[in-house]
Amino acid sequence: MTTATQPTYSEVTRDVVASMGRPGRGYYILLGFVLFVLAAGGVAFLYQIRYGLGMAGYQPPVMWAVYITDFVFWVGIAHCGTLISAILYLFRSAWRTAVYRTAEAMTVFAVMTAGLFPVIHLGRLWYAYWLFPYPNQRQLWPNFKSPLLWDVFAISTYFTVSTVFLIVGLVPDVAAVRDKVTGFRGKIYKLFALNWRGTDSQWRHYTKAYLFLAALATPLVLSVHSVVSWDFAVSIVPGWHTTIFAPYFVAGAIYSGLAMVVTLLVPLRTTLGLERYVHEEHFDNLGKLLLLTGSIVGYAYLVEYFIAWYSGSPYERESFYFRAFGDYWWATWTMIICNAFLSQLLWFPKIRRSIPMMFVLSLFINLGMWFERYVIIVISLSHEYEPFAMDHYTPTWVDWTITAGSFAWFFTWFLLFARNFPTVSLTEVKEIIPMQRKTTAHK
Amino acid sequence: MPLLDGQDGQDGQDGRGGQDGQGPTPVLPVPPARSEGIDRRRFLTVLGATSAAVATTSGCTEPAEKLIPFLVPIEDQTPGIATYYATTCRECSAGCGLHVRVREGRAVKIEGNPENPINRGKLCARGQAGLQGLYNPDRVRTPMAKQANGTFAPIPWDAAIAAVAAKLTGVAGNRVWFVTGHETGSFDRLVTQFLGGVGSTNRVSFEPFGHEALRRATREVFGIEAVPVYDFAAAKYVLSFGADFLETFGSPVEQTRGFADGRAARTGTRARYVHIEPRMGMTGMSADEWVAPNSGTEGQVALAIAHLIVEDGLVKNGPPASALRGLLGRYEPEDVAERSGVSEEIIERLAKEFVAGPSLAIAGGMGAQHANAAFTAAAVHILNYVAGNVNRTVKFDAEATFPGLGYAALSGLTKAITDGTVDVLFVHGANPVHGTPGTAFGDALGSAKFRVSFARFWDETAMSADLILPDSDPLEQWNDSEPRAGMHLLQQPVMSNVFDTKQTGDVLLGVAQKLGGTAARRLPAASWETYLKDAWHGVQRTVGVAGAFEDFWNESLRAGGVYRRARTRPVGLAASATRITETPIASAEDGLTAIVYPSPVFHDGRGANRPWLQELPDPVSKITWSTWVEIHPDTAGRLGISQGDHVEVKSASGSITVPAYVYHGVRRDVVAVPLGQGHTAFGRFAENVGANAYRLLGATPTAFGGVDHYVPVSLAATGVHERLASTEGSARQMGRGIAQAVTVGQLAAGETGEPESHEASPLPENIEKLLEEVQQEHYDDYNAHAPYAGDHPRWGLAIDLSRCTGCSACVTACYSENNIPQVGVDQVRRGREMSWIRIERYFEGGDDDRPLEARFLPMMCQQCGNAPCEPVCPVFASYHTPDGLNGQVYNRCVGTRYCANNCPYKVRYFNWFDSSNPADTTYAWPEPLHLLLNPDVTVRSKGVMEKCTFCVQRIRGKQHDARMRGTPLKDGEIQTACQQTCPADAIVFGDLNDRNSRVSRLAALETGYHVLDGLNTRPGVTYLRKVRNVVEA
Repeated sequence: MTTATQPTYSEVTRDVVASMGRPGRGYYILLGFVLFVLAAGGVAFLYQIRYGLGMAGYQPPVMWAVYITDFVFWVGIAHCGTLISAILYLFRSAWRTAVYRTAEAMTVFAVMTAGLFPVIHLGRLWYAYWLFPYPNQRQLWPNFKSPLLWDVFAISTYFTVSTVFLIVGLVPDVAAVRDKVTGFRGKIYKLFALNWRGTDSQWRHYTKAYLFLAALATPLVLSVHSVVSWDFAVSIVPGWHTTIFAPYFVAGAIYSGLAMVVTLLVPLRTTLGLERYVHEEHFDNLGKLLLLTGSIVGYAYLVEYFIAWYSGSPYERESFYFRAFGDYWWATWTMIICNAFLSQLLWFPKIRRSIPMMFVLSLFINLGMWFERYVIIVISLSHEYEPFAMDHYTPTWVDWTITAGSFAWFFTWFLLFARNFPTVSLTEVKEIIPMQRKTTAHK
Repeated sequence: MPLLDGQDGQDGQDGRGGQDGQGPTPVLPVPPARSEGIDRRRFLTVLGATSAAVATTSGCTEPAEKLIPFLVPIEDQTPGIATYYATTCRECSAGCGLHVRVREGRAVKIEGNPENPINRGKLCARGQAGLQGLYNPDRVRTPMAKQANGTFAPIPWDAAIAAVAAKLTGVAGNRVWFVTGHETGSFDRLVTQFLGGVGSTNRVSFEPFGHEALRRATREVFGIEAVPVYDFAAAKYVLSFGADFLETFGSPVEQTRGFADGRAARTGTRARYVHIEPRMGMTGMSADEWVAPNSGTEGQVALAIAHLIVEDGLVKNGPPASALRGLLGRYEPEDVAERSGVSEEIIERLAKEFVAGPSLAIAGGMGAQHANAAFTAAAVHILNYVAGNVNRTVKFDAEATFPGLGYAALSGLTKAITDGTVDVLFVHGANPVHGTPGTAFGDALGSAKFRVSFARFWDETAMSADLILPDSDPLEQWNDSEPRAGMHLLQQPVMSNVFDTKQTGDVLLGVAQKLGGTAARRLPAASWETYLKDAWHGVQRTVGVAGAFEDFWNESLRAGGVYRRARTRPVGLAASATRITETPIASAEDGLTAIVYPSPVFHDGRGANRPWLQELPDPVSKITWSTWVEIHPDTAGRLGISQGDHVEVKSASGSITVPAYVYHGVRRDVVAVPLGQGHTAFGRFAENVGANAYRLLGATPTAFGGVDHYVPVSLAATGVHERLASTEGSARQMGRGIAQAVTVGQLAAGETGEPESHEASPLPENIEKLLEEVQQEHYDDYNAHAPYAGDHPRWGLAIDLSRCTGCSACVTACYSENNIPQVGVDQVRRGREMSWIRIERYFEGGDDDRPLEARFLPMMCQQCGNAPCEPVCPVFASYHTPDGLNGQVYNRCVGTRYCANNCPYKVRYFNWFDSSNPADTTYAWPEPLHLLLNPDVTVRSKGVMEKCTFCVQRIRGKQHDARMRGTPLKDGEIQTACQQTCPADAIVFGDLNDRNSRVSRLAALETGYHVLDGLNTRPGVTYLRKVRNVVEA
C-alpha cells in the first residue's frame, strides 16, 4: 500500500463493519426508487406475457432486439468479477483485494439479471423448461446442436461457480461480522460463516479451496462469453458469422465489466466511507485494464470492418456499410466513440487517477458497450440477405421499461448486499497490510 | 333460423373442433322444403367448435377438446371428408367457375373449377376472398327498416315484402326505378319482368367499369354492339394501350393464362409485350417495354402505327384499308411523335414489330379511361384491323352479352331523382353512393321517395335506404349467368344461409304475388329456384342436350354450367370508322393529371370489406390498408414531397388527402391514385380506411357515356408524415440476384445466367472447388444417414418468373388454405404481416439511364435441404421430415425466434399476438368469419413461429388417398394452394426425386436457379429466370 496512513487491523474491521451499520435515509430513498422501477418493469413484463411479445418493438426481420442486447450486456458485466477475483488472484495482484468483493457480487447479480432475458424474450416463456435436458414423459429432448442450448449450460454453470466463489470468499469475513451482530442478521451470518473459527487447519483448507475455485473459475471467464458469442457466430447472419467473435466478446465483456466496477465503486466508497481502502491506486489499475481491453475492442472493430471488406462478400460489405452509414449510424458511432476512442484517454495517468473522470468515463463505456450489442444484434438483423424483407426497428415503452426494470433488479440486489455484507474483504485487505509481527499468514 | 341466431358467443368460436359441452345445438338451419338438391345438404349439427378455456386463459394449459358424434348424420357430409360443390364466382362479371370445398356443412375454401373454360381451375385474389363475403361479420343479417330517428330496426320478411308491395301500389310505373349490377342471366330477365309487371322500364344496369368506351368504339369501327374477346395465347406480340388486362379489364384470370402461355420460357418463340400508358401499373410491369405517352395520346400513337402499316404496306395482302387513308393521313408519325412525346423512332419500331407475326393490340382498359378513351379504343380497333388481327386474335361473340348503358344510365337516374320523378328505387348488387364520380348520386339519393336496398353488406347505399332486404351471398344463391355467348353458368347454394337473408329473386316473386294483377300474372313462379329451373328448360333446348331435364340439370350443377364454344361473328369495317374524332382531355394549370385507376384487389371498392384483400399488398406499391398517390421522384422533389408525406390531391370536383408513394413508374406530369377505399360505411374492415378517389372525378358522363378517370389536379403537402403500411424493405436487389432475368438474345447466345453484379471474392480457384467438394460430401453424408434417407420424395416447387404477373392470387389462396390471420395496419407498419407467401417486387433501372423494369418473385419457405433454421432451434420445433420438408411443430415451439434470424429468405413468421383468442382484440376471425377456418390446419396461438409448409395437409391427404386406393401417387395429384390458384400457372409442385415429374423437368431447365444459392442451403424451390423479350442495344 502506498497510502500514507495504513489502517490497522482493528480499523479495517471497524470501518468495514461500520459500512454495514444502520443505513441512512438516502439509502432507503434509493432502494425505494429502485424497487419502484423494478415493479414497473414487472408490470410491463406481465403485460407482455398477457398480450404477447408484440408489445415489444420487434420489427421482423429484427427478431431479437433490446432483450438480447440486455442479455449480452449483463453477461458481459458479469465477466469482470471473475477476472478480478480469480485471474488476478492467481496472478497475485495485491490491489485486487479492496475491489474484488464488489466485483464478485456484481458478477453474481449481473448473471442473475442476464439470466432473466432469455426467458423474457421467449414467445412462450411458460415452456422455457423445455430447454433443460431431463427425462420426461413427453419423450422430448433438446437439440444439442443449438447454441441456445449451450447458453443454458454456460450461464447456469457460470452462475453456480461465481455464486460459490462469492460465498466461499465471504466465509472468513462473515465470521468476523457474525461475532459483532445479533438477531436475525446474526443468524444469517452464522449460516454463511459455515462455523468458521479461523483455526490454522481451517485456513489451510480454505486457502487451498479458494485457489482451486479460482483455477476452476478462470476458464469460465473465457468460455462463457465465448459461448454467448457463438449464439451469433454460428448463425449465417452477415455481421454475426465471424470467427473473431469469441475473443472479441470476451474482451468486450471484461471491458464493460470493469467499467461497471468503476461505476459501482465510486459511489460506494464515499457512501460507505471506504475511501481509505479504495483509492486512486485502484482506479489507476482498473484504468490500465480498461485501456487494455478497450484497445482490444477497438482493434476488433477495425478487424471486423477489414474482414468485411477483405472477404469480398457483398452481404458482409453491405452489412458493415449499413452499420456505419445506414439508418442506425448514430448507434454505431456512439459505440465506436465511447468504446474505442474514449478509452484511449486512459493513456494519461492523470485521468486514470482522477476518480470523477474515471466515473464519467465508465458511464460512457457502459453506454457504448450496451450499444455495441445493440449494433451487432439489431443492425445486423435488419439488413440481411433478402433486400425485400429488410426493415427498421424501433423499441417500444415495453422494451425500455423492462430494460430499466433489469437495472432495478440488479441494483436491488446490490443495494441489499452492500448493506448486509462486507463490500471490502476484511481478511484480504488485512493480508496486504504490512506485517507488524511475525505471522503464518500465507503470502 | 339463421346460423348465428340464439348463440351465446361460445359456440363455434375457433373452428378447432370440440364442443362447448352444452350438448348438440342445431347451429345450422333446416332450409325450407326444396327439391332434392338442397335436401341432401340438410343437416342438424356440426362438430361445432370451441373451448371456452382457450378464450379465458393465455395458454398455460392445453385446451381440452371434445369430439361429439352427429345426432343425425348429414347426407353428403362425412366428418373429416370434404365435399365440393360447383358454382360460379360473382366477385366480378368474368364468370369464373368455382369448386367450393365444404367441410361439416361449412364452406372453407374456394377453388377454381377446372371444367370451366374461362378460368380452368384458376382464381384471382378476389375470387379467393369470396369466403370473406359469405362470412363477413358486417353483412346485413336480417331485413332492416329505417326508423323515424334514422336508425335501422329489424323487420320480419313478410312485413318487409308487404311494405314493398304497399309502396308500389298506386305508384305510376314510370316512377319506379331498379338498379342492378352486371347481370346476364335469369335474374336479369326477372328484374325486367318485375319492372314490366309494375309498368316500368326504368332499368339501370350499372357496372362501374362497364367498357363504355370500348363498346362505343366497336360500334363506330365495326358497327356492332359488343366487347371483343382476345386470344392472347395466339399472339406473339401484344401491344396494350392502357389496357390493364391482367388486373381489372375484361376477364383477368383467363387473359393472364393466355398471356402467360404465350410467354412461357421457350427460347425464341416468346411473345413480346409493349405497354403504352402514362403509368406503369401491375399489367404494365409484366411488359418487356413501357412507353409512356402524353396523357390522352395513346390513340394517336395507335393510328400513327396504323399509318405506317398502311402507307408502307407492311402487311402483305392485308385487309382493304383504302377507306382509312384519309383518317390515317392525319396521323403522320412525325406529328404524332411531337404531340404524344413518343419518338418517331419508337413508333416506327413498334410498327415493324407489330406486323412481324401474329399480334394483338388492346385498348379500353382502365389505364387510359380518359375523355379520349373511345377514340383510343377506336384507333386500336383500326390498328388491329389494318394489321389483319381482327377475326384472328381479336374476335367478337355472336351475341353481345354486355348489358346496359353503363354510367350514362346511372347519370340519367341521378337526374330523375333530382327532378323528383323517382318514387320507388330498388338498388341491387351496386354501391353507387361510394362507387360513382363525385358526390352527385349520393346527394341526390335522399330525394327518392322510397329506397329499397338488396345490399348484402352495410354499404353506403344501404345506409341511405329506407328498407334493406339483404340478398343472400352468391355462395348461398341459386343463380345463372351468361358472361359470354355459349357459357351458361350455374350457381348453387354450397351451404345453408349464414344469416336470415333471402335471395332477391324470391323477394321479387313474393312482392309480385302480394301486388297481384299484372305483376302476379307475369311472375307466377312459386320460387326463384323454380323460375331458374324453368329458364333452364330453355337452356337445354338452346344447347341441344337430349334426355330428361333432371339429368341435364344435375349434370349442369355438377359441372358448374354448360359450356359451349361461343360462336364468333366475322366483322368488317363500318363506314363510321373513318369518322372517329378526338376529344381533347382537360389539363391542369401546373400540368399535373391524376390517373384514378381501379385497385387490382378492391375493384371499384367492393372488395374493401375483406380483410384478406385489405392486407394483400398492392402489386405495384406493396402498400396495404391504405390509399396513396403515386408521384414521380422528380415531381415529388420539385414539390418537396417525400415518401409517406400526406398530400392533398385537389381537383375541380373534390379533394382527398393521402400519403405519397414515390414511384418511377409514372410520368413526371402524372400522378396516380387507386380506387376502392375511403368507405364511410361497409363494415369494420373498410370503414375509414384510405380515401375515396372517386371524389376527385367529375360526375358528368363523358361523350361515350362513361367516367373520365383522368383529372387535372394540384398537390399540396399537408406537413403530416406517416410510415407507409408497406410490406417492402428495399425495392432494389442490391445486385444480389434475387429475382433474376435473362433476355431472349442472351438465351439464344447460350447465356443463361444473370451476370454477377458484385465483385466475387478473390479466392484461388482450387479453394472454391475444394469447398464445394467438402460441402457436397457433407451433404451426401447427411442424405445417406439422415433419418429420412432412402426412397422418399423430395418435394419441391418450380416457379417460372416469366409467367408470374405479380397478381398475388397465391397470397390470398394461402391465407385461405392455411388459416393465416390478418394483423391490421398498425402491425403491418411493424412488419408483422403473416403472409407465408409474399410477392417480392423489385425494380431495376428507372433511377439511372436504364429503363424502369419490374420483376416479381413469389417468396415462400424454400424448404431447404440444408436448412439454416433447423440446427439452431433448441427444442427441435424446426426439423427435417423424411420427404425433405422443413417441418415446424407449433406445439413444440417455445418462441426463441432464432430460426427466423437464421433464415436468409426471411420466410418465417412469428405470432406476436394471439390471433386465435376470441377474447383478444387481436382476434383475427370475428364471428362468423371463424367459420372459414380450414379444419385441416392448426390455428396458431401466440408465441409460436410459423411458415409455409408446402401445404403439408394436402400432401398427407393425397398420400393417404393413394395408400387407400393402393396405387402410387401420380405427378400433379398434389397441388399446393398457391399453385392451384395461380392464373398464370407459374407455380408447379411435385417430387424432385422423380426425374420425370413436371417439377423436375422444369427445375432442370437451363434458366433455373436458386435464390441465394451461395449459402449452400439447397432450396427445394427452383426459380426459372424471367426471360425478357427486349430489343437488344
